Amino acid sequence: MNTGVTTKHQFAMVFDLNKCLGCQTCSIACKTQWTRGNGMDPQWWNIVNTIPGKGTPKNAFNLGGGYKDGEPVAGELPGKAEWGEAWDYEYDNVFFKSGDTNERDYLRPRVHDGKPPKWGPNWDEDMGGGEYPNSYFFYLPLVCMNCENPACLEACPRDTIYRRDEDGVILIDEERCHGYRFCAEACPYKRVYFNEQRVIAQKCISCFPRLEEGVAPACVRQCPGRVRHVGYLDDPESHISKLVKTWKVALPLRPDFEVKPRVFYVPPTMPLAFNDDDEFDESQSRFPMDEMRKLFGPDVEQALATVESERNKVAAGGQSELMDILISRNWNDMLGPYKLDPGKLVRPPRRGND
Amino acid sequence: MTATQLNATSSEADLEDILAPNGGAWNDIDSKTVELAPTPLDRQPSAYVQVAWKDRGHGKISELTVQAITHKDTLALRIQWAADQPKRSINDINAYADACAVSFSAGGDEAELQTMGSPGKPVVAWHWRAGTEAPFSVTASGIGTAERSADHQLQAHSRWSDEHWQVVFAGPLDSLSFSGADGIPIAFAIWCGANSERAGLKAHSPGSCQLTIK
Repeated sequence: MNTGVTTKHQFAMVFDLNKCLGCQTCSIACKTQWTRGNGMDPQWWNIVNTIPGKGTPKNAFNLGGGYKDGEPVAGELPGKAEWGEAWDYEYDNVFFKSGDTNERDYLRPRVHDGKPPKWGPNWDEDMGGGEYPNSYFFYLPLVCMNCENPACLEACPRDTIYRRDEDGVILIDEERCHGYRFCAEACPYKRVYFNEQRVIAQKCISCFPRLEEGVAPACVRQCPGRVRHVGYLDDPESHISKLVKTWKVALPLRPDFEVKPRVFYVPPTMPLAFNDDDEFDESQSRFPMDEMRKLFGPDVEQALATVESERNKVAAGGQSELMDILISRNWNDMLGPYKLDPGKLVRPPRRGND
Repeated sequence: MTATQLNATSSEADLEDILAPNGGAWNDIDSKTVELAPTPLDRQPSAYVQVAWKDRGHGKISELTVQAITHKDTLALRIQWAADQPKRSINDINAYADACAVSFSAGGDEAELQTMGSPGKPVVAWHWRAGTEAPFSVTASGIGTAERSADHQLQAHSRWSDEHWQVVFAGPLDSLSFSGADGIPIAFAIWCGANSERAGLKAHSPGSCQLTIK
């Protein structure tokens, strides 16, 4: 178990779950930028899942990995049926069906064996939890957590995975990787993908080539909901540090995995529950608090109370640094040291004829 | 566990017949059975692997047979083992293919084959994995240091039949260091894909095996 690791900076993100729309613009931004190569069709380095839900892959947070009392925990690696394939459609049936027929058809998704898909990214989006009128759900965006105790890094027998000294970003050396997939088993968030064609492990790279140019990751910059803050945890003036350390409203996901993730979440302040008289019950959230504690740890109630209290302060006409940060009226403030507009970069010439 | 002496027989058969896993050239060639054992778990260079595989059991293949032929400048080895659940390719995210490897000391000094060599005493290995078109040539100087490279002079041909794999490796004889008259140490490894074996999780030949050229 890696402890006491020091890097020049501690790259980190904070996702404000009160603002996530589940629009998957982040997922598409990432997909467009990074995962269009050979064997990468099924890979979603950034994915937004719905809670409650089984996640991506199916049962993602119940497949082991991480640590327990400092010891590695064995993990499972699901197959493509549980990860979800990049499915295709029956274009021939719809657009090129021969014969004079009035039969109507539509584009049906199909996986590699020609059958309908049974699981996929954010498959259970429309499920939610609770019973009407106390239904509840929220969106949970996921990327590589750049953990301080990265189980993936420790699990690799070839030292293929490393932590960048300049910012603590965790990367896989694809040249060294032999595709053994211990890393994918060991990641408790199941954020390491396997490229079947190239027989290598691949994952979110935190857009490190953009970071090196001073540009925020694609998922951060493209987020229309202003959900994502990015910066250095070790900079006390950063949004990250203020949300995590000063205000203590941004929490690690599943701290019981003991990997110390460097992506933090502002937990969602759910609507109040309805009581039997169809009135708001001010004492209860719709989302079961024990589930919230399981996701975000024992500090979640205090974090929610802080957000609630600061919100009320502003609603009453007062000022709140926390609310200013979370609202982010100036979008660039969310980007920390990565404010550069990528459109202003001098781009290298394109390779080949594409 | 007794030492195994594997003599490579000079053959004038067609190379094509030697490269065929069920080629007739192999019919009268001396065959040795090599006992295999799981690699020691405590030598796996990852605490995760040691914990995750503590009670799973690896190194499921208990023995192989091997034959050796020299043909002009080529050394050919045919390795056979029982596999009633063959894994012919990596066809899923959680699928692992059957594989085998044969390793030799790379330098004049005898390298420790069980540890994949050591710093300054490298081993070379020929590595075949089901479903791949070409074998890898591997060099290593200790556990976790294996570096693969494509070697156009190295060939592997495989066949699965009657619940057995037959794999023929063929490579240039002069790529091996036959410095002593007694031949060179040689070691074997089999990965059982059906048991998710990969990396250091394999069955290896812990006993001494010496390859000599007749």
